[in-house]
Amino acid sequence: MSQETHSNQFTTLFDNKTLSMLERMRLNPTRRLTNRSRGEHLSGKGGTSTEFSDYRNYVPGDDVRYIDWNIFARLNRPYMKQYQHEEEMHVVLILDASSSMDYEDKFLRCQQLAAAFGVMGLLNFEKVSAYSCNNKGGLPAKLSPCTGRISMKRLFDFLTKIEVGGDSPIEVAVEDVLRSHRGRGIAIVLSDFESFGDLQRPFNMLYSAGLEIFGVQILGSSEMNPEINGDLRLVDSESGQTLDISSAGDLLGLYHEHRALLEAHLAMLCRQRSGRFLTIDSGDLLEHVLFDLFRRKGWVI
Amino acid sequence: MNYWPGFYSLPGAWFLLLLVPLVVFYFLKLKRPHKSVPSLALWSQVINDRRVNSPFQKFKRSILLLLQILLLLFLVLSLMQPYIQSGADRALYLPILIDCSASMAATDPETKKTRLDLAKEQVTELIDNLLPDQRVSLIAVSSTARRLTDFTSNQRILKQALATLTVDDVPSKLEDALRITQALSRTVPLKTVLFYSDGNFPKEVNFDLPFELNYQMLPPAGSNLGITSFNARKNQTGNWDVFIRVENTKTSSNPVTIELKQDGQTVAKEELVLGEGDSQRIEFSINTDSGSDLEAILSPGSYDSLPSDNRAFLKIPSSRSLLVYISPDLASYRYALAEDKNLVLYPEKDDATGPAEYDLIIASSENNLEKQALVKLGVGFVPEDLKKFISLETKLTDVVDWNRSSALLRHVELNDVQITEQPVWAENASVEDLEGLGYEVVVHGQLGPLLLQKRNAGDLEYYFLFNTDRSTMPYRVGFPIMVSNLIQLTLQEAGIAEVQAPATPILPAVEYVPENKYLIKTPDGKQLSAESNKNGLVSGIAALHVGKYLISGEGANSDEISVSLLNPLETSLVSVEEIQFTEVPVTASQDQIDSDKPLWSEFALIAFGLLLVEWWYFQRRPAGVPS
Repeated sequence: MSQETHSNQFTTLFDNKTLSMLERMRLNPTRRLTNRSRGEHLSGKGGTSTEFSDYRNYVPGDDVRYIDWNIFARLNRPYMKQYQHEEEMHVVLILDASSSMDYEDKFLRCQQLAAAFGVMGLLNFEKVSAYSCNNKGGLPAKLSPCTGRISMKRLFDFLTKIEVGGDSPIEVAVEDVLRSHRGRGIAIVLSDFESFGDLQRPFNMLYSAGLEIFGVQILGSSEMNPEINGDLRLVDSESGQTLDISSAGDLLGLYHEHRALLEAHLAMLCRQRSGRFLTIDSGDLLEHVLFDLFRRKGWVI
Repeated sequence: MNYWPGFYSLPGAWFLLLLVPLVVFYFLKLKRPHKSVPSLALWSQVINDRRVNSPFQKFKRSILLLLQILLLLFLVLSLMQPYIQSGADRALYLPILIDCSASMAATDPETKKTRLDLAKEQVTELIDNLLPDQRVSLIAVSSTARRLTDFTSNQRILKQALATLTVDDVPSKLEDALRITQALSRTVPLKTVLFYSDGNFPKEVNFDLPFELNYQMLPPAGSNLGITSFNARKNQTGNWDVFIRVENTKTSSNPVTIELKQDGQTVAKEELVLGEGDSQRIEFSINTDSGSDLEAILSPGSYDSLPSDNRAFLKIPSSRSLLVYISPDLASYRYALAEDKNLVLYPEKDDATGPAEYDLIIASSENNLEKQALVKLGVGFVPEDLKKFISLETKLTDVVDWNRSSALLRHVELNDVQITEQPVWAENASVEDLEGLGYEVVVHGQLGPLLLQKRNAGDLEYYFLFNTDRSTMPYRVGFPIMVSNLIQLTLQEAGIAEVQAPATPILPAVEYVPENKYLIKTPDGKQLSAESNKNGLVSGIAALHVGKYLISGEGANSDEISVSLLNPLETSLVSVEEIQFTEVPVTASQDQIDSDKPLWSEFALIAFGLLLVEWWYFQRRPAGVPS
């Protein structure tokens, strides 16, 4: 995708065509975890956002506005029309902005996916909030919950202004986010999940907070298929720690095994909590990821 | 075989010290390139996992170093020039005698390889395995010995000399080669001498071995048929009886054809069937007065190992009368020979002058013996050069003993012959003094020799030191027999009554212009040069191959002399398994001699292989990368 900013483009993260396609898509959570409060669209728009659900007998005290008068005329008995009330769902975007994401196009892809999920949430009148986690111990940068097309510009501005760098591991970042977050819905965690820590705890906390977990592991091409050989000193981008390896070529088999194990472990953690998990290569085309991969996996409809 | 390797150049082990800088440089050079990665989380797990699962972790970590150490080790081992010891003492100087006599050309019916080819193969293998400090000298053995190379370790020179070695159509004579080797042993220390032969030589060798002789006998060849004798004798009718002897080594059911050609025309042909080891003499009769060239050709009906003995050549001389000079005072000799029609006696009654050369001179004084003749008989005087050893006394004496195998005294009985002149040894004189001057005592008297024989530059001389007319000899039956023997000897020397085919390895002496140069063209196309002596004799020319030798020069007129092999021992192809030397016998070794096997090339090859492996390991695509 072109990174050039054109005057007629709504955002630098993707072009208008992609944006218009995203506007017609919506998130498809497995469980419908919503806030108790009724959604804005139910009270304000007057039925355009309500769907008929069932009938029930009228009982005194019911709002007479919901009596189906046509049935009353035919049967001479009042029946109340019941509507499926759509309640508000909170879409929480948690972006890992630590140094480990500053490789190849990892963080760009992270921003693009966050923007895409955000757009889907906003245009479907979900409440969308975003958190960017950089440094361990520090408060994450936050986009306050917002909704509607009007908030799209705010979301894009928030995402494009995130500075990459820091040493915050994803498990600590999730804890930091949950300190300030309130509301049920979906937590979309965008990270490389390469952490020395225990990943089970943040997933448990997200689940306990009533958030369905959408885990997206973003890895660079050099992480998917590293081509290294000989004797090397590997330097950790976050901690600066080093690790000497010899005959690196011999280790690549083991590396792939461990990467597959991590992927399987994360997928299992998400699945156990009725969530979803997907690993993507930052080198893959965005259109392929958004309109093919996520659709096929049932993440979006 | 000792499988523990020896090292020729042990000081090469000092190069192992290079291991120290190798290891030092390896670790100094091991400045690992830094590579920044997003996170070490996965790599840490990978390293921990490998440490747990791989028992050879440390080994794998420095596999390049290990390969380099192995490469250096093998290079140093190669430099140290290792070899597998044969178990025998390693000879630094090794003369190799290679038999190249006629029988070595015998081929195997299956492989068609000659014995010489087999010997060359074995010697080539030895040369290939030569160690740098070993020196080999090649010596060809035939009727004489030729040193092909000096002591050298240069394989190219040795192989070149070996390649030029060919079979000579001559019988083998081991003594010459052993004497050459003995001479070599005075300049270099020799422990062992290798001798490759098919064993076709006389069993007894008159030689004291000063070194160990390792006799490598080559496997026997196939069957062989050959002409072993070819001669002719003039019979009383004036015709020539030609005798050809053919020998066979193994049973053959196919008949053999013998063809006799006279001046290129076939005059006789006969078929024979010979059993194993059979020898048969065939007789033909031919008529010629002016001389002829005869050629006998043997056509074997089945496989024949040796082709060189299938042809033989003989020259029949033109007939003539013998010219005999007899001193007038030796009446008994003239009387004994007067009736022989084939003789012309000089001096004739009416003519005191005779020809310049005679066939036989019987003279009573030394002056008369100065004329040219093939055979000379001095009667009644002591030759001038012997007068200081022998003197004549007038005293009755008789014969004590005589050489009964002497050609002159064949069938002659000398017992009780009374002699009035007695030769007497001078003080301190003995037979050795005469032998020193070339004389041989044929008849011994009581106090001195009575009859002497001397071979003088092709002439045969006999000296009766007493006057036979002053003894009872002329009255004995033995006297005409002795005179007849003398005539037969002269006929043989003149070659006009009996001729034998000339055989290798020397051309028969021929007489041309004195002190002149002559060129001899051999059957294999080589040119030899020779010079005639003061008597005009051209002699001592090597004839190593069967065939015609063309002599050109003044008086020669492109004369042809053909020689044949005609050696029953070579034709028989028999093998002697034990050589009987003067003191010790040497038995043939059937096993090929073990030689030290150099290993440096193998080690160098392994080092090269390691270099390739290291290069591949360094350059290879990383393992585990999905295709």
